[in-house]
Amino acid sequence: MNKKISAVGIGLLVALWVTLTAAAWFGPAEEYSGAERRKLAQAPELSVQSLLAENKYNRDGSIKEKLSYMTLFEDYSLDQFPMRDGFRQIKALFHYNVMRQKDNNDIYIVGDQAAKMLYPLNETMVKGNLSVFDYIQKNYLLKNQCKSFMAVVPDKGFHLAKNNGYLSLDYDRMFSLVQEGMPWATHIDLTQSLEIADYYATDTHWRQECILPAAQTISQALGVTPPQQADFTQEQVSDRFYGVYYGQAALPMNPEPMYLLRSDLLEGCRVFDVQTKSYTPVYDMEKLSGKDPYDVFLSGAKAVLRIENPNAATKKNLIVIRDSFGSSMVPLLVQDYATVTVVDLRYVDYRMLEQFVSFRGAQVLFLFNTQVLNTTPLMG
Amino acid sequence: MLFSSIPFLYYFLPAVVISYFLVSWLVEMIGKKLGLGQEKSHRASIFTKNLTLLLFSLVFYGWGEPVYLFLMIGSILMFWLCGLAIGKAQSQGLKRLWLTVSVVVSLALLAVFKYADFFVENFNALTGLSVPLLKLALPIGISFYTFQCLSYTIDVYRGNAQSQKDIVAFGAYVSLFPQLIAGPIVRYVDVARELKDREHNWERVHLGLRRFVIGMSKKIILADNFALLMSIFRDSSEQSVLFYWMYAIAFLFNIYFDFSGYSDMAIGLGKLFGFNFIENFNYPYMSKSVAEFWRRWHMSLGSWFRDYVYIPLGGNRVSKGRWLFNTLVVWMLTGMWHGASWNFILWGLLYAVCLLIEKWVPAIQKLPAFFRHFYTMLVVTLGFVLFNADTMAQVGTDFAGLFGFGGLPVASTATWYYLRSYGALFLMGIIGATPLVRDTANRLYESKKLGPAVAVAETVLLIVLLLVCTGYLVDGSFSPFLYFRF
Repeated sequence: MNKKISAVGIGLLVALWVTLTAAAWFGPAEEYSGAERRKLAQAPELSVQSLLAENKYNRDGSIKEKLSYMTLFEDYSLDQFPMRDGFRQIKALFHYNVMRQKDNNDIYIVGDQAAKMLYPLNETMVKGNLSVFDYIQKNYLLKNQCKSFMAVVPDKGFHLAKNNGYLSLDYDRMFSLVQEGMPWATHIDLTQSLEIADYYATDTHWRQECILPAAQTISQALGVTPPQQADFTQEQVSDRFYGVYYGQAALPMNPEPMYLLRSDLLEGCRVFDVQTKSYTPVYDMEKLSGKDPYDVFLSGAKAVLRIENPNAATKKNLIVIRDSFGSSMVPLLVQDYATVTVVDLRYVDYRMLEQFVSFRGAQVLFLFNTQVLNTTPLMG
Repeated sequence: MLFSSIPFLYYFLPAVVISYFLVSWLVEMIGKKLGLGQEKSHRASIFTKNLTLLLFSLVFYGWGEPVYLFLMIGSILMFWLCGLAIGKAQSQGLKRLWLTVSVVVSLALLAVFKYADFFVENFNALTGLSVPLLKLALPIGISFYTFQCLSYTIDVYRGNAQSQKDIVAFGAYVSLFPQLIAGPIVRYVDVARELKDREHNWERVHLGLRRFVIGMSKKIILADNFALLMSIFRDSSEQSVLFYWMYAIAFLFNIYFDFSGYSDMAIGLGKLFGFNFIENFNYPYMSKSVAEFWRRWHMSLGSWFRDYVYIPLGGNRVSKGRWLFNTLVVWMLTGMWHGASWNFILWGLLYAVCLLIEKWVPAIQKLPAFFRHFYTMLVVTLGFVLFNADTMAQVGTDFAGLFGFGGLPVASTATWYYLRSYGALFLMGIIGATPLVRDTANRLYESKKLGPAVAVAETVLLIVLLLVCTGYLVDGSFSPFLYFRF
């Protein structure tokens, strides 16, 4: 009896294996993974040349360039595996619930909030990035008599990690490093203006509709009129926003609504993309259907943008040197400025900034998230 | 190509299984239609099966190292010819000559590809010269298939095996992909009969697939997660004494589940294709002495050294001095088999010393079982720390960390976090390293009341494990394989 049951059971196992094999061999190839926000590998070309080709390697043994057919095929077989996202979810659920792991691919969940475990503090990286800011101060800001401000945006771990037993940066050390590295700037503390609900549950970023208190804190420090709730109309532009952690966590999570803050003043603004020499909208609605809907704010990753505000109350100019958190914050700061120039040092060489940006007499706000300061070299 | 990879599981393995059974069935059918008779048709079918395994095994080998296919084909030819020559030689001297040729050539290959740079580095260090290194990539599985081939020519020479006249059957034996790159070290005599004729039935498929899925789960779910913790430890800037011990114990489980998982997969695949490979592990972490540990750990290697090195040297039926020499030689070679590096040699010699102590201090065997188990596991754990170090300097750092030298804290925030996060994995590791699950499952399976439920549960478990392992692979998990480098 037992042997019969086992024989049938193995038949089921074989049937499953055969089905997955058939789907892997004959299933259609996908171009793009929405959950992981990346293009998927396609079937490599089979030829004598590709079979004999060898990968190029870095000194540490990691692959620098994949050239071998075998390596490319392995990538293809992983990327095009049938029901790929479903299998990633099975792994994530098993990892959390059976293995009792506290994180999956460094992403952890607390309540409905997903966050990336940012640990440890990479002092070398932080100091390297601060040296870039120092270069900017010495070479552009000093001679143009610019007044500088620095606001550090805490990542979600600041609000979640410690109380829930997860590893996180040493934030006190991070903030003191920034203060020590930028003694020439006025430091703006945003930690009191933000709470975890101000961030998207499935994404790294903050919600524009929730950051008015942070915008007010910054505006007060800059000495301009703080934006008020009444200045804006809140518009829901999506009810199915899945952030970057949704794909990385591979766990079942609910989509969220996405809102924009609109105003007549913003409607009158024009955004000039210095790189493409073309005008773009403050809110680029086409990006909502793109790979990252958060790119709706100032069109996402752009090297240098200049927001022209014909209805500004003053002729002041603001330069915001920022990361992606700045995209949703800058529209809330334009009110009193004739122009706001927005610079992302990840896409432009800081040694060539004067070619694109006029610093004369401007206020300069450095606005950076702890994650970028800790993990991303701002070398342009 | 790794067994624990999507290309193997869902491309290579289905392709070889379909080809193996379909082509051999077709050949048998055509043979019968042509009136070749039952026996000839069957022989043709076996030949086709061996040919299919040989061709697919060469693809499997070439997938990782296409450039070394020539080495594999050359080894097959050389050992096949030597085996034939030994078998046909009329005089003992001629037999010995051909045996010597096979031993010298195979050891020369190992010396060139595996040990040359180690010898040159040490020569340079001793003499102050700068003899350039060869910097050759290590052919995958060279230690495994070279030892298999050596066992063949030695057994033919000793008269324990007949020389194989069919080069396809011999080539299939040497290159057989289930055990090609990570063992077990299958001796020719153990599979000679199966190369001529072998049986396939649904029960073997059941046993084979079950063993394969369990082995794959040990590798992917347990070993790879322990490897991840080890990698986190190495990258961590917050090391502590407790974290060092977590690392040491993680490696203890990692290497066991990695290697025994791979052996399970090999044995399971062997069953699928009609072979019965020897067992390679027998719950080694249950051992209560170092000698017992080596009777349970990598059994195919231990028995190989016993039969082809230790006993020919005289074994223990010699003077005390000579026995001491034999023991040290065998364990130094065992260490060197694992890699061309001083830490492997020291690792082998550590076991030699422990075995000598166990022999010379019989009081150890009279200690309570708990203490003997504790002492054995301590030696094994520390031995593996030595084994896994990249350099001798790292050996020093690791041992200092384990015993609290160097001003490390007892624990750190990161240590507690990872202990909590990996606690369940350690528990699974402890349970999985004992025969508890196997024995309980077997007992329940035999029970009249619960047997059918256990049979159903087994099916569900195997399906879940296949899905979970696939999930881990698709998610691009960390999946290094340790025994590749040997």
